Amino acid sequence: MTDEQALIAALRRRDKNALAEIFDRYSDRIYRLALSVLSDEQAADGVVQDTFMTLIERIDTFEGRSRLGTWLYRVAYNNALSRLRSLKPQLDLDGFDEDDVPIPANLVDWQTTPEELLGSAEAMAEVSRAVETLNPALRAVFLLRDVEELSTQETADALGISPGAVKVRLHRARLALREALAGYFSERLGM
Amino acid sequence: MDCETLITYLSDYIDNNLDEDLAAEAEEHLRTCHNCRVVLDSTQQAILLYRTQGKQRIPMQRRSRLFRQLEEALAGQDCE
Repeated sequence: MTDEQALIAALRRRDKNALAEIFDRYSDRIYRLALSVLSDEQAADGVVQDTFMTLIERIDTFEGRSRLGTWLYRVAYNNALSRLRSLKPQLDLDGFDEDDVPIPANLVDWQTTPEELLGSAEAMAEVSRAVETLNPALRAVFLLRDVEELSTQETADALGISPGAVKVRLHRARLALREALAGYFSERLGM
Repeated sequence: MDCETLITYLSDYIDNNLDEDLAAEAEEHLRTCHNCRVVLDSTQQAILLYRTQGKQRIPMQRRSRLFRQLEEALAGQDCE
């Protein structure tokens, strides 16, 4: 029995320690995914709550066909999307053209940026602001691939999209962030 | 390989997902094209910055509250 199967078996016995262990492993990751979709801390807390409630309610019938982490991500992502649709019914989640890859325009070399500026709170706020402007569907892929470091296939499974869509969305998100940061650093460095 | 093709494959190149021939062509282009080199380096830097910035955690107080509610739900199920 794997460690994960043992945890699931313990949770079926309503073992509090198993719940604590699963919560410890996955709550922050689910929170970040929810935050990436919703950009709202309170709503992201709600997603975490709903996701674990669903786990508790369904643990007796959890078939283990997917890994627990993938299953939790999937529940959380669908929950976050449905909250987003009711919060912002006018938002078009497919409002980006998968074939239209942005061409890099700002070619300033900001590799020479001093460490203290690169890691500054201001630069981090700029990263956050730039990511915020992306479509939530791109943000979710960007987060799972480049922050959580899931593989393309794991990300596809977690979000219920094809591996091809993961690749295209990731590529767009990376280039968009690069462009925004190139603009920011070149301005800050007076280049 | 030209610049447009390099940009199309940039993410796959970063993720080491290109087959050997394409990766070699990309390497060759990057050796001679300053602009594409800048785009590659700055994209990798952008990813690193996002990885640092994106690791938020649930603040402790809210985390404890969330867990307490789940514990109660689990205990409630036990009594059913």
